[in-house]
Amino acid sequence: MMKQAIASAFLVVAAIALPLLIGDNPYVTGILITLLMMATLASAWNIVGGYAGQFSFGHAAYFGAGAYSTMIMLSVFNTNPLVGMATGIVVSSLIALVTGSIVFRLKGHYFALASIAVAEIVRLTVLNLDFTGGAQGILLSDVAFLGLDLNSKNPFYYGMLSCLVVTLGITAYLRRTRTGYYLQAIREDQDAAASLAINIAYYKNKALLISAALTSVVGSIYALYIRFIDTTAVLDLRLSIEILLTAIIGGVGTLWGPLLGAALLVPLAEMLRSNVLGDAMVRIGIVSETSPIGMFFKDGLAHAHVLVYGIITVLCILYLPKGILGLLRRGK
Amino acid sequence: MTRKLLCIDNVSKHFGGNVAVSEVSFAVEEKQICGLIGPNGAGKTTLFNCIAGYYPVTSGDIVFNGLNINRKRPDQVCRLGMARTWQRVKPMSNMTVLENVMVGAFASTGALRKAETIARQELLVVGLENYAGKLAGSLPIGLKKKLELARVMATSPKMLLLDEICGGLNKTETGIILGIIRTLRERGVTIVFIEHDMKAVTSICDNIVVLSSGEKLAEGTPVEITANPEVIAAYLGGGSSNA
Amino acid sequence: MLFLQSLISGLLTGGVYALAGMGMSMVFGVMNVSNFAHGDLMMLGMYLAYFAFTLLNIDPYLSLVLIIPLAFMFGYVLEKVFINRVIHHPHQNQILLTIGLGLIMSNSALLAFTSDPRILTTSYSSSSFTVFRDVSVSVPLLLSFIITCGITALLYLFLSGTRTGMALRATSQNREAAQLMGINVSRITAIAFGIGTALAAAAGALIAPTYYIHPLAGHSFLLKAFTICVLGGLGSVVGATVGGLIIGVVEALSSVYLSSDWKDVVVFVLFLAVLLFRPQGLFGKKGDQ
Repeated sequence: MMKQAIASAFLVVAAIALPLLIGDNPYVTGILITLLMMATLASAWNIVGGYAGQFSFGHAAYFGAGAYSTMIMLSVFNTNPLVGMATGIVVSSLIALVTGSIVFRLKGHYFALASIAVAEIVRLTVLNLDFTGGAQGILLSDVAFLGLDLNSKNPFYYGMLSCLVVTLGITAYLRRTRTGYYLQAIREDQDAAASLAINIAYYKNKALLISAALTSVVGSIYALYIRFIDTTAVLDLRLSIEILLTAIIGGVGTLWGPLLGAALLVPLAEMLRSNVLGDAMVRIGIVSETSPIGMFFKDGLAHAHVLVYGIITVLCILYLPKGILGLLRRGK
Repeated sequence: MTRKLLCIDNVSKHFGGNVAVSEVSFAVEEKQICGLIGPNGAGKTTLFNCIAGYYPVTSGDIVFNGLNINRKRPDQVCRLGMARTWQRVKPMSNMTVLENVMVGAFASTGALRKAETIARQELLVVGLENYAGKLAGSLPIGLKKKLELARVMATSPKMLLLDEICGGLNKTETGIILGIIRTLRERGVTIVFIEHDMKAVTSICDNIVVLSSGEKLAEGTPVEITANPEVIAAYLGGGSSNA
Repeated sequence: MLFLQSLISGLLTGGVYALAGMGMSMVFGVMNVSNFAHGDLMMLGMYLAYFAFTLLNIDPYLSLVLIIPLAFMFGYVLEKVFINRVIHHPHQNQILLTIGLGLIMSNSALLAFTSDPRILTTSYSSSSFTVFRDVSVSVPLLLSFIITCGITALLYLFLSGTRTGMALRATSQNREAAQLMGINVSRITAIAFGIGTALAAAAGALIAPTYYIHPLAGHSFLLKAFTICVLGGLGSVVGATVGGLIIGVVEALSSVYLSSDWKDVVVFVLFLAVLLFRPQGLFGKKGDQ
């Protein structure tokens, strides 16, 4: 316990100091922001998916609710970003409550299916309405908050870092409370949990609400960071699946698993996307730039990160059902 | 003075056209051990599921501690002081033995420390104190049954419904479990239990209710029941006495 | 007239949806696995029909004769190599595995075929004939509906009349009991997944002439197939047939009376409504949920 606390404190200090070491390198800072964002999203997902065992395939809805609420409040009502963030929390909580009250009475596959359906309803609604910008999305030219220089990436780095620390803190706290024990009991055996005085629907809803609210806050910060959102960027099924895979591949139902998953997958995706791997192959001379195979690696791999996610998922399920963290622990 | 803690009044349960339990009535007095016996398919577990809130009854009333619990959910029933175990044990496999029992203890306290104290006490009662840190899924069946007992006892129930708590155990293990059940009664817990093993039932019960094909066949003391020709016919003629 | 027109085209499209739904229901019933790769298997069927037509000059409807056995074998192997290993795992693992497989299929297709949508244009693609005043029927839709009916009839005959079909139904009823009765459950499971895949691919090939062919086309069909299954009762093949027709009609009517932008929303709201009010589906037994 003590060791873990010291290690976490060290990690936080290192993370706070990191931008000072990197200096003015927007590219690296950008990747780190994405890493922190995916780690937070996967950790938030983990509260309902990992601890309560209710796999959500629609977390993009909560992320999108945060992003869109913030952008609409800013661009239409010109409010403080915090108002947008609060609106996002309210909207995503409502979405979570509707989903939860429909399916949490039912067992098994239904929550997975309903979470997709709800997320798709949200996506299509945003796409088809006018005040959400429809297919064009929403672009924000300028935003001010507490006199911070929002053209620099550092405020967003610290914003995402705070989100991650809060999310992991909540997870660590929950694990030491009745709620945490109850969520795990529900995951393990729903009937047995009910026979031990656990109100199943209440606790599942509680987990989903906490998870949705955290996810929504990350969405709000993301919107301020990118300043352009559309349904493909913030509400797509792909995002939901990436969030869930990050948690699964890292180690589902563990405190550090989602962070580990993001720390592995985000740089990997970035290497594929920026063609570091493809370029390296050409440079080393494995493949020639002009040959069809070389062209394929150079152009193709840039789009291949989801393919790689798919392959890793299949391998993980077959060989590492407890994720990479499980592998590390087994190695001890 | 004894008081009726549980009253089953004309309870029926139909599944579509199948009648699983038909107009069964009986009462369980406080601090009694009541045995519920009958051949396979007699409706014992179905009746348990009705009492514990897993199935809604088709007709009739279930009154626990003066309160009608027909429409209560399982967790509400447990909160009122009636806990149950499962014929097929349901350990929370990826949690430790201690954590399993703590989940039960959280029914009466919100504090982690207090839940742990209660859980350790109950583990001591069933003799699992040396397994506290083991994963529940790794225990052999005999110990899983003990874990079930410790877990429901941690909810500090007034009444326990035990569904074949000795099923699949050998004589020694059965003896140990029966011993634990006796100590539970001394703590003031009322017990209803389903059992196939007639010896176990007659050795421990104050009162026995016999179900057959969903109906109540007989009710009485162990001596009365073992002498009842109808019960003997149902058990021996039913062809499933060894189940 | 508008109502009748959309009712007819809805029923015709619904028939093809039903085929996809039946495949998913078959897999769910026999294996108790929610197959999240189902939409991607449909997408592969679409591309197979497309390439059979453009490269080999085989009519998309005729190419079914090739696609169905090919897809069956693909599904059979997929089950033996991957799905089989998680059949006793928690259902989340099964879902994740099929998601992983689906991602591999759709993203490989993206790499191989690029994201440009393709269109399969046959000589009769846009032809239609008038049945009654201004009510017309599209030829490709009608053809695919007729073929769907044929495949459905064959499937029913197979399920009710052959030993393997009966073994499939028995395994779907109770896996353990089927095993005790001497049914080779692991072979039956692979056959079920093969049939599921074949039905998905057939549905894909049948809609290829009327839809954009795209590597990510499977996603929207996946949700539709789920809606159909839940509507009909998860695992019920008969239910899936009716579920498919209902979804087809609901879609057609909502795109006429609401707007085609909202037709998917209507379908998903219907899905949630079914979960809320009748989670066992229209034909499922109560208590199954």
